[in-house]
Amino acid sequence: MIEVQGLTKRYGDTVAISDVSFQVARGEVVGFLGPNGAGKSTTMRIIAGSLGASAGTARVGNHDVADDPRGVQAILGYAPEVPPVYTNMSVRDYVSFAATLKGVDDVQAATKKALGRVGLDKVAHRLIEHLSKGYRQRVGLAQALVHDPKVLVLDEPTSGLDPAQRVEIRNLLAELAEGDRTVVLSTHVLGEIEAICSRVIIINRGKIVAQDELARLSAVGRAVKVEVARPGPGVLAALQALPGITGVDELEGRYVVRGDEDLREIVARAAVPFGLLEMSGRERLEDIYLRLTAGGAS
Amino acid sequence: MAIGRREVSAYMTTPIGWIILCAFVLLFSFFFVVGLLQYDQASADAVFNPYAADQLNVNDMIVAPLFGNMQVILLLAASALSMRLIAEDRRTRAIDLLLTSPVRSSEIVVGKFLGAIGFATIIASTTFLYGGILMLLGEPDPGIMFSNYLGFILLFGTLLAIGLFTSSLTENQVVALMVSFAISLMFYILGWTGQLMDDGALKTTVEYLSMLSHFEQLSKGVLRLQDIVYFLTFIGFFLFATTQRVEALRWR
Repeated sequence: MIEVQGLTKRYGDTVAISDVSFQVARGEVVGFLGPNGAGKSTTMRIIAGSLGASAGTARVGNHDVADDPRGVQAILGYAPEVPPVYTNMSVRDYVSFAATLKGVDDVQAATKKALGRVGLDKVAHRLIEHLSKGYRQRVGLAQALVHDPKVLVLDEPTSGLDPAQRVEIRNLLAELAEGDRTVVLSTHVLGEIEAICSRVIIINRGKIVAQDELARLSAVGRAVKVEVARPGPGVLAALQALPGITGVDELEGRYVVRGDEDLREIVARAAVPFGLLEMSGRERLEDIYLRLTAGGAS
Repeated sequence: MAIGRREVSAYMTTPIGWIILCAFVLLFSFFFVVGLLQYDQASADAVFNPYAADQLNVNDMIVAPLFGNMQVILLLAASALSMRLIAEDRRTRAIDLLLTSPVRSSEIVVGKFLGAIGFATIIASTTFLYGGILMLLGEPDPGIMFSNYLGFILLFGTLLAIGLFTSSLTENQVVALMVSFAISLMFYILGWTGQLMDDGALKTTVEYLSMLSHFEQLSKGVLRLQDIVYFLTFIGFFLFATTQRVEALRWR
């Protein structure tokens, strides 16, 4: 549904994103993860057609964003981080204005449906400037889904919300993701990704550093951490000699062994002669994230 | 178009629209009353001076000066009306809604322009009251009234188009206001420099570019195609420039 190929965006000498490529299949819910300033918003804006790329292509459905932006925008709903609202309009007027812009046939029905979906019926008559941040965020969502788009691109839909609002929006997102709607959402709240997304793309300093199924990324045994009583070069050599591993890191007497399958048994056997003290076979998303984006925060 | 309608209602629901409307009505009324008093004075003088009586004419003494005085107010009113059109959307990021909806940049620009023209028409319609009073009490030439109104709307439209363009250049409304006021005033008073020049191509060009000379013809009741084309060209040029600018906003 979304195909991004070699996307690059430069501002003068600053490179916001470089050579970003990924695909999102129909019906998939993908989480976009990365520190602030990593290039999440830039990528999403390019896909939504509000920003041009310096190089590379982005396709949504069968439309190229650069050649046929209106074709993309007709089937894509985009909620930027700052809700693009006119604060002097009432919620209902604003959403029906958005529906008109997006070329919806029955504006009234679409508005009613969108307001119902995001739970704004009760405040529909109120001016947006009088709404709380959580409600404004919902107005931003209502605007994105008023034309019942096949693809939703949401930039930090839960930023700045209190925990209760966050849970509400998260439930809403899970609801929206049902059916064959394709959803890409960015966040730096890892729990959100774990709760809603099936796949995660981690981006750091404008480059994709990992993209995989959430289940595979944090599968048991793919990264095994061991602590031994007698660390040394011998341990490292023994671990590196194991079959099916992709890498070994040493960190203050602890070793992290990585591979593509469950390594727990062979690592345990190799570590016992050196006095195995402790071993854990599960790497949390948080650890993966911190490892991959180390030094990238800005 | 939806964008235009939204802009009109935005003017009606925010103080800025009403403030401009009130200021306009106040000043227009002031000039109207001043015009009436002068006319009254002239009529009284005419009792003793039969030659002056020939000069007495509602069109020349009230309608034309009134619209003449209004031009200066228009310069400011149009800049103030148009300053928010795009600059405010950019500051609040509401422009993202427009840029990510399946509408062309030109549709956004024309919609914004029509919204401003719509509100300008509402402002202009307040003057019908005074037109009505003149109709009741005197015999103004409907042709001159019409051409003055036409000139008024064309000038207003041109100034709004300039304002719309400057509004797309910045996120700061005050900057947009000042720049559009400066550009508008430049074109408006360009004619003055023309008067100082020797006859020649330069003088003709400068006078042609000046809004003043074109508006004067219309205010005298002379409908010339070239004047109308002048204003429409101006509007077209600035709408085109604004469209290019909005298109550029998508790329940065």
